[in-house]
Amino acid sequence: MERLNPRVRVVWLFLAVFRAGIVGGFLVGAALVLSETGLWANSPDLLVPGAIGLAVALGLVRIVVAWRRYAVWRFEVQDDGLYIERGVFTRIKTVVPYVRVQHVDSRRSPIERTTGLATVVVYTAGSRSADVAIPGLTPERAERLREDLRRLAIESEGEDAV
Amino acid sequence: MNRLHPFSAVVYALRYGLLWLWVPFFLVTALAGTVAAVSIAWLPVVTALGFLFGAAYGVVYYYRFEYGITPDTFDVASGVVARRSREIPYRRIQNVDVRQGVLQRVLGLAVVTIETAGGGNSEAALRLVSKSEADRLQHQIRRRTAGVDADDSDRSTTEASEDGRPVGDEPLDEQPSRVDGTAEAPPVSETRPRREPTEPSRKRLFALDSRELLLYSLTTLRPAALAAVGFLFFFATDTVLDFLVTLSQPFGGPQDLQTGDTQSYGVLTVVSMVNGIVITYLVSVAYTFATYYDFRLGRVDEDFVYERGLLQRYSGSIPAEKVQSVTITDNPLQRLIDYAGLWVETAGYGPDSSGGSQSAVPMARAAHVHRFAENLTHVETPAFASPSPIARRRYLVRYSLIAAVVVAAALALAQVTPLERWYLAAVVFAAVPPAAHLRYVHLGYYVGEDHLVIRRGFWRRRTTVIPYFRIQTVSTRRSIFQRRLGIASLVVDTASSRTLFWDTPTIYDVDLEDARGVHRTGRKRLQSALRERARADDAGFSVDFT
Repeated sequence: MERLNPRVRVVWLFLAVFRAGIVGGFLVGAALVLSETGLWANSPDLLVPGAIGLAVALGLVRIVVAWRRYAVWRFEVQDDGLYIERGVFTRIKTVVPYVRVQHVDSRRSPIERTTGLATVVVYTAGSRSADVAIPGLTPERAERLREDLRRLAIESEGEDAV
Repeated sequence: MNRLHPFSAVVYALRYGLLWLWVPFFLVTALAGTVAAVSIAWLPVVTALGFLFGAAYGVVYYYRFEYGITPDTFDVASGVVARRSREIPYRRIQNVDVRQGVLQRVLGLAVVTIETAGGGNSEAALRLVSKSEADRLQHQIRRRTAGVDADDSDRSTTEASEDGRPVGDEPLDEQPSRVDGTAEAPPVSETRPRREPTEPSRKRLFALDSRELLLYSLTTLRPAALAAVGFLFFFATDTVLDFLVTLSQPFGGPQDLQTGDTQSYGVLTVVSMVNGIVITYLVSVAYTFATYYDFRLGRVDEDFVYERGLLQRYSGSIPAEKVQSVTITDNPLQRLIDYAGLWVETAGYGPDSSGGSQSAVPMARAAHVHRFAENLTHVETPAFASPSPIARRRYLVRYSLIAAVVVAAALALAQVTPLERWYLAAVVFAAVPPAAHLRYVHLGYYVGEDHLVIRRGFWRRRTTVIPYFRIQTVSTRRSIFQRRLGIASLVVDTASSRTLFWDTPTIYDVDLEDARGVHRTGRKRLQSALRERARADDAGFSVDFT
């Protein structure tokens, strides 16, 4: 079983903090608007501190989840399919048979480029949620994985069943 | 390349004309308030100009829209300014649908849509061709799709395509139009005498008789009916309210909405609710009746062809080898009278909201439907295994939580309104054990020789038969709670599960060991089925299933 590159934690932590900041900003901002402008006539004193506390708590959960995600994520190029294990709360183990691979992408977001990582996305003809993305690969590994998957998808002769 | 029916020019002209007339209308209205040079008096002139521009665009659109049948592809070229030409290979076509509205039936016109597995909507829509042309297209595409597959299967052994002439070489005009449905020998028989000596005959597989149609209409509830009634209420609120008040008066309702006491308002509420339910139900019945009136399913070669509809007429063809999975549906009412329906699912998009699933047998005796499904898929009679008994406990907890939320909501409501006795909401807890039990008993799965059968749902129970060969991916999912209880859910994804209304087939809450076993089995049998199919060219589905 292959683990992701540990640097992927940086990407995930950054995203977690970024999103927590947006959600927290909305929460605290709404609380401030309610208490300062007098929209809510006699709002409880704890409204703003409560909102800040909630935002911090949500942010912490996100950060823990982002950290933990790395420990859970595994994948393996097996002989008949790509095997993936992921999910912090709901653990998901997926097999994508090579014969079902429609096409393979590798992509790099700005934050992935700064950390020197890449993501490989494998598409099937199934429902959208079943398309799998393997993040946290070095560009060389991503390139190699994409090539391997392409070769295996071609070698596994058969129809795509659509 | 062919053009659409000339009447389409009128339709497109009207459509774009009505669309474009609003642009100068809004522009002038907005500018008249701010810019002195623009006067509101220009409105009649500019809207007329906008309409003319749109109409001209529509006519040009008609002249720039072309389609044609080539030996390997179905081509569509369209677009006035930005051109798009699209070539659809026959072997990628999932189904071809022909739709006729009321006016179109009077005028003998039809809309043809061609579905493939890709994209979010129909691959090609020919808006308004003559009915005979629609039938000809449907027939031609079906024949060529079958031709491609036949060429594939006996490429190595056969002396087919004798003179090497491509399949679609004959001029399109030679093909006589079949308005009356009688079978003439197509000219293609001269070039390929061995494969298609005559026009393939249409064989009837199933027809919905009036009793089944009535039962289907009466026992099916459509959420769309609720939306329709809500829409009506939204647009004719006053009329509907007056109507409801009048209806409640014989039972002691108020004289009008302003004058009334608590009791008469209470009567009004109850009577209106009953009326609302009855009207929604009647709309739903009428809708189902009109949609499935005169339903007929037949076969032509290896294709399913169906027709249905009272006012708007649908007809379509589905190649048997494009069928991904087969689902039997029934709801509590239908189970009570021992009836069920059969659906076939493809990766394309159907004319309904139901996505790629098409009704093969809308309603028939449950025993017949089960036999049909077994004949169609060659699945053995399934002996369903139940999920782990722990699952029942899980649903008990889950539904108790929902009930607790309901009671909490009632409590919150009592704080802001003069609602008394909020605690009476606790009666919902009485529904929890039966609900959990019913959910549990309607779950089941069966691991067959060549198929996986998954059953789930109480209100709309679905039993899906998935050949291992059609599996796209297999996933085992375990939430925190499932991990603690040692159970797992197995999601079996196929190319037909890309729809909103039909969830991905899932085996819920089985013991972890069972889930792993089914996961392994599904994976292994997919590979062996692939090898088998490579040897024997087997579509996996029989067309003659009734």
